[in-house]
Amino acid sequence: MIKLTIDGKEVELEKPVTVLEAAKKAGIRIPTLCYFEGLSPFGGCRLCLVEVEKLPKLQTACTLMAADGMVVRTETEQIKAARRAMLEFLLINHPLDCPYCDKAGECELQDLVAKYGPEAGRFAEGKRQHPENFDDPIIVRNMERCVLCTRCIRMCNDLQGAYAITVTGRGSHSFVEPFSGGKYNCEYCGNCLTVCPVGAIMSRLHRHSYRPWFVEKEVETTCGYCGVGCSLILQMREERIIRTIPRVGLGLNNGLLCVRGRFGYDFVESRDRLSTPMINVNGELRPVSWQEAYEFVIRRLKEIKETHGPTAIGGIASGRCTNEDNYMLQRLMRFVIGTNNIDSTARLYYAPAVAYLEQIFGQGITANLIPGIANSDGALVIGGDPTTINPILGLQIRALWRSGGKVIVVGAPGGLKRFASYEVVPRPFAEEIVLSAVVSRLVKEKELKGELTHLEEKIKGLKEPAEGDLQAAGVSAETIDRMVTDLKAMETPVIVIGPELLQHGRPSKNLFLTAALAYAINARMFVLSERPNYQGVIDMGCLPDMLPGGRPIDFEMFRHKIEETLGKEVPQNKGLNLFEMIDAAADGRLKALYVMGEDLLFSLPGREKTRKALEGLDLLIVQDIYLTETAKMADVVLPAASWSEKDGTFTNLERRIQRVRAGRTISSGRPDWQIVSEIARGLGDDKVFSSAHDVWEEVIHISPLHAGLSYEDISEGKAIWPYHGEPLRGVEGEFDVEGLDSLPKVDTDAIILNMHRPLYHSGSTSRRSKALISIFPEPVLMMNPSDAKGIGVEEGEKVRLATSNASIEVKVKIDRDLQQGVVSLSNTFEGVNFMRFVDYTVEPTTGSMVITNNSVKLEKVKE
Amino acid sequence: MEKVLLKNIDNPDSARIEAYEKSGGYSGLKKAFEMEPKAIIEEVKRSGLRGRGGAGFPTGMKWDFASRDPKFPKYLLCNADEGEPGTFKDRPLLEKRPHLLIEGMIISAYALKAEYGYIYLRGEYPHAKVVLEEAIKEAYERGYLGDNILGKGVKFHLSVHQGAGAYICGEETALIESIEGKRGQPRIKPPFPVNVGAWGMPTVVNNVETLSNIPYIIEIGGEAYSQIGNPECPGPKLFSISCCVEKPGVYELPMGTPLKEIIYEHAGGIKGGRQLKAVIPGGISTPVLTPDKIDCPMDFVNLPKVGSMLGSGAIMVFDDTVCMVKVCWRAIKFFEHESCGKCTPCREGTGWMRSILERIEGGFGREGDIELLQDVAMSIAGKTFCPLGDGAANVVLSFIRSFTEEFDYHIKNKKCITQ
Amino acid sequence: MEFLKEIEEILNRYPDRQGALLPSLYVAQKEYGWLSQESYEAVAQALNLPPATVKGVATFYAMYKHKPMGRHLIQLCTNVACMVMGAERLVDLLKNKYGLEPGGTTEDGRFSLVIMECIGACDKAPAMLVDTDFHADLNEKRIIEILESYK
Ligand SMILES: Cc1cc2nc3c(=O)[nH]c(=O)nc-3n(C[C@H](O)[C@H](O)[C@H](O)COP(=O)(O)O)c2cc1C
Ligand code: SF4
Ligand code: FES
Repeated sequence: MIKLTIDGKEVELEKPVTVLEAAKKAGIRIPTLCYFEGLSPFGGCRLCLVEVEKLPKLQTACTLMAADGMVVRTETEQIKAARRAMLEFLLINHPLDCPYCDKAGECELQDLVAKYGPEAGRFAEGKRQHPENFDDPIIVRNMERCVLCTRCIRMCNDLQGAYAITVTGRGSHSFVEPFSGGKYNCEYCGNCLTVCPVGAIMSRLHRHSYRPWFVEKEVETTCGYCGVGCSLILQMREERIIRTIPRVGLGLNNGLLCVRGRFGYDFVESRDRLSTPMINVNGELRPVSWQEAYEFVIRRLKEIKETHGPTAIGGIASGRCTNEDNYMLQRLMRFVIGTNNIDSTARLYYAPAVAYLEQIFGQGITANLIPGIANSDGALVIGGDPTTINPILGLQIRALWRSGGKVIVVGAPGGLKRFASYEVVPRPFAEEIVLSAVVSRLVKEKELKGELTHLEEKIKGLKEPAEGDLQAAGVSAETIDRMVTDLKAMETPVIVIGPELLQHGRPSKNLFLTAALAYAINARMFVLSERPNYQGVIDMGCLPDMLPGGRPIDFEMFRHKIEETLGKEVPQNKGLNLFEMIDAAADGRLKALYVMGEDLLFSLPGREKTRKALEGLDLLIVQDIYLTETAKMADVVLPAASWSEKDGTFTNLERRIQRVRAGRTISSGRPDWQIVSEIARGLGDDKVFSSAHDVWEEVIHISPLHAGLSYEDISEGKAIWPYHGEPLRGVEGEFDVEGLDSLPKVDTDAIILNMHRPLYHSGSTSRRSKALISIFPEPVLMMNPSDAKGIGVEEGEKVRLATSNASIEVKVKIDRDLQQGVVSLSNTFEGVNFMRFVDYTVEPTTGSMVITNNSVKLEKVKE
Repeated sequence: MEKVLLKNIDNPDSARIEAYEKSGGYSGLKKAFEMEPKAIIEEVKRSGLRGRGGAGFPTGMKWDFASRDPKFPKYLLCNADEGEPGTFKDRPLLEKRPHLLIEGMIISAYALKAEYGYIYLRGEYPHAKVVLEEAIKEAYERGYLGDNILGKGVKFHLSVHQGAGAYICGEETALIESIEGKRGQPRIKPPFPVNVGAWGMPTVVNNVETLSNIPYIIEIGGEAYSQIGNPECPGPKLFSISCCVEKPGVYELPMGTPLKEIIYEHAGGIKGGRQLKAVIPGGISTPVLTPDKIDCPMDFVNLPKVGSMLGSGAIMVFDDTVCMVKVCWRAIKFFEHESCGKCTPCREGTGWMRSILERIEGGFGREGDIELLQDVAMSIAGKTFCPLGDGAANVVLSFIRSFTEEFDYHIKNKKCITQ
Repeated sequence: MEFLKEIEEILNRYPDRQGALLPSLYVAQKEYGWLSQESYEAVAQALNLPPATVKGVATFYAMYKHKPMGRHLIQLCTNVACMVMGAERLVDLLKNKYGLEPGGTTEDGRFSLVIMECIGACDKAPAMLVDTDFHADLNEKRIIEILESYK
């Protein structure tokens, strides 16, 4: 116990903290500028000077550790004079342009001067001149206003890990700059904006349109971009989001955001937004009233159901929609129309992966806390870059590494480049060989627990790669040794797996191998999730074989319970999954498809096949916020309300349920749940839902997993797995693995087209954000320098990229960290998107897709 | 007094290992290796040696702290940044007696169980770099450096780290940052380098001259050493004397030699027989003295009594033709240029003081400027992150205190009293 | 490549890669003549450091050059001792005779001039470094003689 006196107050401390924190505890505010909670202390601004008895000099409270018996004074005349002096110094070179500065009203310097400052400055010479820099599309820098607190630098380096900005020069010629001196070339997390106390680093998005007092309301919500689910605050004025900000202490992101969350909010204002329902009349979409649209949909669905039966109808749910939206679509399909044909693009890897792992270990195996990652002592990352797919999760891995943990990355390191103990970069899609070698070796050296015999049996049957196999995979035996040694030594490891591992080669084998590894070293597993609510889609029962709460459809008990509760029949047979629905549409078994919040033509490989299938439908209903490629083919288009315009919940990849709240009260569309509900009513449903809350009430009524989980609980952050409800236990057990006793052949000649997952984009949503587009404006093909050299192209030049599906000219960008033999293209820009080039097959064991036709021809385009 | 530090300095081969060994070099090392590391630290404590880099911290105590820290590896850093204007006393050691320094470092490293050492050499001494690197090579060849020094199982590796023009890197924590390849800004203390220094490990930073005293202490014993000069801070001391004296240069004299003796006897008195006006006794950061104070013995305990400091022992002598406002302005310009920019008062205040001094010096001074200058200096003094800012404030305050009339004259007459 | 080999050798002397930064910047300065964006990137690449970090460090130190330099670099001290002993007259002289301003380069690219803080030669003030050669006890005549030997 430490006891000290601050301004005559006795303060008792459990653990050692700084005098500043001790004073805060005692309710005494010491002014600060360079201090920022969560950043390392700096002690540069000298505003927090205090007097300490027995110490001859004034001390900075932000750096001085409180000690027993200390007597501190914070408000003496000497201190006041010192503060005044520091503020006068800060103003010497600071322009007095407060009326013009966007920071006014939330400027820490302005507030400090108002409170403690000199009335007038005595500096008579000219101020330092440094023109505002507009080279960057997003961030404007005004170095005349900078007070060199270095909060931005410490944020960028120590928390974000982007190392994009630095102080150049020294003394009074110190300036905060990105490497180029102008444009940022960074991760654009914007976390430097959060910490800048003055108007030196500002967002251009709301330049001269933002003042804190313009904000009419602040709405706390959950980011709509990825499966992490950061908490953010929408600052609203006249129905517009003028800014989104994170807040320290709020949500699992605790004050941090990534580029998409911070700057990507303007997609809701895109001109492409649908504003009215449309019906296809003779090949042309014509605006109609909502009433007409509803009547049309209801009539057609009825007809099709009557003629072809309920199983001729299917629904596609959405990882971008809320739990409530997805639940309602599932409800419509199952309980109103009477089919289990419901699925989503979670099928592309996320849902099969989770299902497979749960089959081995039991429900909830992937429900692990993201903020806990930083406290682990080791991580294995394989199959995707967490820093771009799930950026805030990625930061946790960086933090893990920083605090001395081991990080092993298998594959191109991406954003973990400087945060990995080492990278193991096998030939494209030879991860299976590396993992097989590691698992085989590991279980030889470490006895298994004997808990999961079904898993251990399989591990015994695993084929161990020979020296030659490793050679073909491009990985040395020493590397395997090193991995095994390191993995074995980890005490609290995490394993992070991503789409690359699950969409190539043999997904079941790869999943089995990671499961075996996790089992052997006792790791917590994370599956990277590209959409904000893939987990919610699963948990809401948008799967052909699962009911809400992850209850298998073939258990009569679960069906009956719902039937009893809802008084509605639950169809008994498994439905069709996404790919089966496409196939069924193609061969005429499926007649109607209800697509909610998904652009199938854009999101799926095998575009031609999908197009033909959709063309063959009698009825294609597309409910979306944009007129997507898929919507253009629809018989009826229903404009939906977007994220930030509706209420509900998302479930993130750690299965945390969080609130989504409407900031905008008007929308050119309607909430998805509401549209679906109207249609359900037209089809004979008797239940009225008048809010998302009503929908949720039903969810917690019928899903045992969510039982009793109210919106209040969710708002209070209590909706963390395993909730108060019950996870399903006891159904896990036997599972199949493809090719347990064989190893894949590695093709060493081909150039493989892979999906680039840029930090700045998430597909078709981000493309409609002006801010994000200004950062990453056009399609580029990422190439390794030696591959580029091989065909004689340099950065910025064009190549022709072709598979049998498509051929396109695209600019090249050199990426030193990309594997040789792999080129990558993002799935962002219409017409030049990755999926357009490739096809897929489905692995029967997992139902996951495997990308095919990804070997490409490349040639330089002569200007 | 027999020369210890500058022994043999006139021998053109003084930097070569043969010459050094011939004159008894590396015998201290051999003797030290017969002692327990702890005993060496005790001997250095007994000698009363205080750091020659400026702060005068007892060397034995510093070593004791570092050696008690259980973390390994430990680092020994030699501060050869010698950036304090007026100071050039380490230079002859670096250029002419590199082996004395190397021997001192090996003994220190052995005492501290430090396995790695760097000589942080200022970038402005390119010749010293060549000499030191050659000497280190020789020492490796003779088995004085390496994994198993003289077959005694002692490991010490030494190399030169060249600075690149930043006075602040002479401050020990900034020096550590700079060795780590960072911007040379001082670190928060505590933790002190003896516990958390280079790469987070226990680290001792000692000045060139400090380390060069070590072989002699081992040779004659701490007790005998403590009898040299002023027993409160004993030992031989290098004084660099410059500006308006007949014989500027580096002099090795016992600690406590009176300032007057140094100026008038050793340095041959004021140049051209002119009148003495002011002396800066310990490098530009130390307060200026007026002629009435020059009886003071030059050491760590007596100079503070007359309002100044020993600093690096760099004596700058100004005669009656020199403008004190101009000297003050130039000194502050130096501080402004060298301010690292980390803390507000130094970063902004040095420039402000410079601009006021500039206008006074240029004949544009205003009434109230002296008070303003003093006020700005007072706002800096005692509030900066590291002593650099304090140094700047002290210069201004001491110059104004000692030469108020001259400043006044400048403002009133728009020209210098010397003109 | 010579550059990378030298950096590799430097790396042996430090426990981590950033430690090698200052010496590597000297190597780059030698290789490129001055530290351009390109040379920062080369160093960053060689040491696996972020380019912004490299630039931040490089610009902190006065002896790294951030613009192209003449064939010979005159580093003339004007700190107190040199000033008192007449360095200012030498600065004027260089301006008049060679058109050389502090921080500038002669038109023919022969000399660049950088004003130094104390270079530790106060006993022989005024003093300067030309490239890595040290010259002291300068006066107007001597400085010209010396400079004329640099072509
Ligand atoms: C601004 C500043 C500059 C300094 N410059 C030097 C220097 O050039 N050489 C030096 O030996 N010590 C210098 N010091 C002192 C060092 O911080 C440190 O005290 C010294 O290297 C310790 O060695 P010693 O105990 O052997 O004196 C400087 C201190 C400050 C605050
Ligand atoms: S006093 Fe402050 S700004 Fe000046 S050198 Fe020290 S830390 Fe840097
Ligand atoms: S808050 Fe303590 S020095 Fe800035």
